[in-house]
Amino acid sequence: MPPDPAKNVAPPLPRTARLDDSEAERHAKQLRRLLVISFGWLLALLIGAGVDALFSVRRLDVASRRVSSLFAARNHVLGTIVVSVRVYDDQLERYLLQEQLQESAPDPSDVQRKIALVHGVLEGFKREFDPDEQVLIEAMQLQVQDEENVCATVLTWRADLRRQRAYQFIGQQLIPWRTRMFELATQISSLDERKLALENLAVATRFQMLESRLIWLVSLALIAGVLMSLICGWYILRLERQARQRYQALALSRLELEGLSARLVEAQEEERRSISRELHDEVGQSLGALLVEVGQLSKLVPPDDRVTQAQITHIKSVAETAVKSIRDIALLLRPPMLDDLGLIPALEWQAREISRRSDMEVEVHSQNVSEDLGDETKVTVYRIVQEALNNAATHAAAKNAKVTVVQGSDRITIEITDDGHGFDPKRQRGMGILGMEERVRRLGGTLTIESAPGKGATVKAELPLHQADPPLNHP
Amino acid sequence: MRRIRILLADDHKLMRSGLRLLVEQQPELTVVGEANDGREAVSLAKSLKPDAVVMDIGMPNLNGIEAALQITQANPQISVVMLSMHSDESYVLRALKAGAKGYLLKDSAESDLIKAVHAVADGKSFFSPAVSKVLLDDYVRKLKRSGAEDAYDLLTPREREILQLVAEGKSNKDVANLLNLSVYTVETHRSNIMEKLNLRGIPELILFAVRRGIIS
Repeated sequence: MPPDPAKNVAPPLPRTARLDDSEAERHAKQLRRLLVISFGWLLALLIGAGVDALFSVRRLDVASRRVSSLFAARNHVLGTIVVSVRVYDDQLERYLLQEQLQESAPDPSDVQRKIALVHGVLEGFKREFDPDEQVLIEAMQLQVQDEENVCATVLTWRADLRRQRAYQFIGQQLIPWRTRMFELATQISSLDERKLALENLAVATRFQMLESRLIWLVSLALIAGVLMSLICGWYILRLERQARQRYQALALSRLELEGLSARLVEAQEEERRSISRELHDEVGQSLGALLVEVGQLSKLVPPDDRVTQAQITHIKSVAETAVKSIRDIALLLRPPMLDDLGLIPALEWQAREISRRSDMEVEVHSQNVSEDLGDETKVTVYRIVQEALNNAATHAAAKNAKVTVVQGSDRITIEITDDGHGFDPKRQRGMGILGMEERVRRLGGTLTIESAPGKGATVKAELPLHQADPPLNHP
Repeated sequence: MRRIRILLADDHKLMRSGLRLLVEQQPELTVVGEANDGREAVSLAKSLKPDAVVMDIGMPNLNGIEAALQITQANPQISVVMLSMHSDESYVLRALKAGAKGYLLKDSAESDLIKAVHAVADGKSFFSPAVSKVLLDDYVRKLKRSGAEDAYDLLTPREREILQLVAEGKSNKDVANLLNLSVYTVETHRSNIMEKLNLRGIPELILFAVRRGIIS
């Protein structure tokens, strides 16, 4: 079988398509970079917001804790002051009223110690207070100082003096002192409370600020996220569309390619047929006629004219050789058997032809094969069998081959089995097999090749019968 | 003596004129018509009622085999000689099945045509020696490769005799008369032959006979 030009054609991709590809590639790269950067920003934003919130909350927590602990400490100090004032008051009172109460009187030095204690407490805690409070503390200190001085005198009173003046002193001095002390303490306390309220307000404000910042950041991230999702969605859609377009273009070009190779096969078959017809009909017949004429001529020439007779014999043998080679070529190109005899006799002829030429014996079995198969189907079956048998005989050195053709209601199945040394159909796919596949695909059929080294080979083709083939014309 | 009337059918004028030249040299043969294709051959055979039709296989419109079938079915007394370029048994068998009595290769038409026309006019078969040779070669090669035995060797001498007569176109009655046997016996022999040789129908029997050189 001569090499088939249709099988070597692999059309190059259109140039514009390649340019488009590189441009699209660059675009995609840019877009990818943009997406990565955007996502990076979004992520940074979210992390930043989170870290900020964490730190702010901690700071606020620390601040509010400090405020409340400060408040508690002052309360404690104030309490201590008030208690120590009470204790000293009490002591002093009991000292002054020792005659009336008839209790064991406290020691005057003890009372003085208690006053000194108050003094110490005030001095000790003074630093813990704010300047405005310190003024009040100083007032307290001044009063305590006064009291200390007065007490120093009072404590020196003798019993009768005490009895005489105690109530008066208590009523006029001690109680107003005490009241003033409490007032001062209350003032400090209320100042403290105001401060606490202020501090709390500051914390709350800062918290609100944090809250609004967080809301702002989160909404920013949300908007960015939504925006990015939209961009991504759009990008994915675009990619999908591109992929679909490409797939369609690919399918289209494959279809075109198939159409092209189908047309090539068709053109080739047509070409072969016409060359075959020309050779067989024109040249062959002319030579046949020539042979007849030469036969006539040899009868006209007297038999004893040896030279002329020998010449005529020579002409005859040359013409016969020419007839024979033209017939062989014509048969190879397009066997007229297909048209003259139909498919199965043509296959049988081919089988015998191969048997004559090679060491392989071919059997042909057929079942239900109708006479009026479409021309294209017949040619396809014929060529597949031809190719498979040629492969079996020349490449696989098979000794026996079997061709089975079975026609069903809507399809025709062809199977060619040989006992040659086989091959690996996945690796070895020669032009012949490609040609068979092409022919089968053209008719919408399937071709399967089963073989393994040392196991022979089975070529199986199934062709649908749609009766769409043109009716056969005799060449 | 009545001349044998011949119809020539070939789509090539050159070939027809060559054949006509050959035929007309024989005083006992005459060409009564020439057909250019199968259809014309069928209609001319019908109207001219020739003794023999010499017909090419490869012809437009209606090929020679189909034409032969139509002619022999309509007029069994017309003998058809097929002219062909092919010596393959597919062709020979198809021609025989179509009712052809003779099968000539175009290469040898010049030397064998006259013999062939005479033979078929006498009701005998005729095959180009080259055809018999190809058929025999195929047969022998196949036997040798498959290691099977030649079915012909299975036949008794009597069966071989009957095979030849049947292949030559004789009816059971003719054979019975020739061999002094009853028609029934001949029929029995015939079916035995068919069975031993695994043949279906007279065309295959003739083909076998040609292949073995029993008839030519």
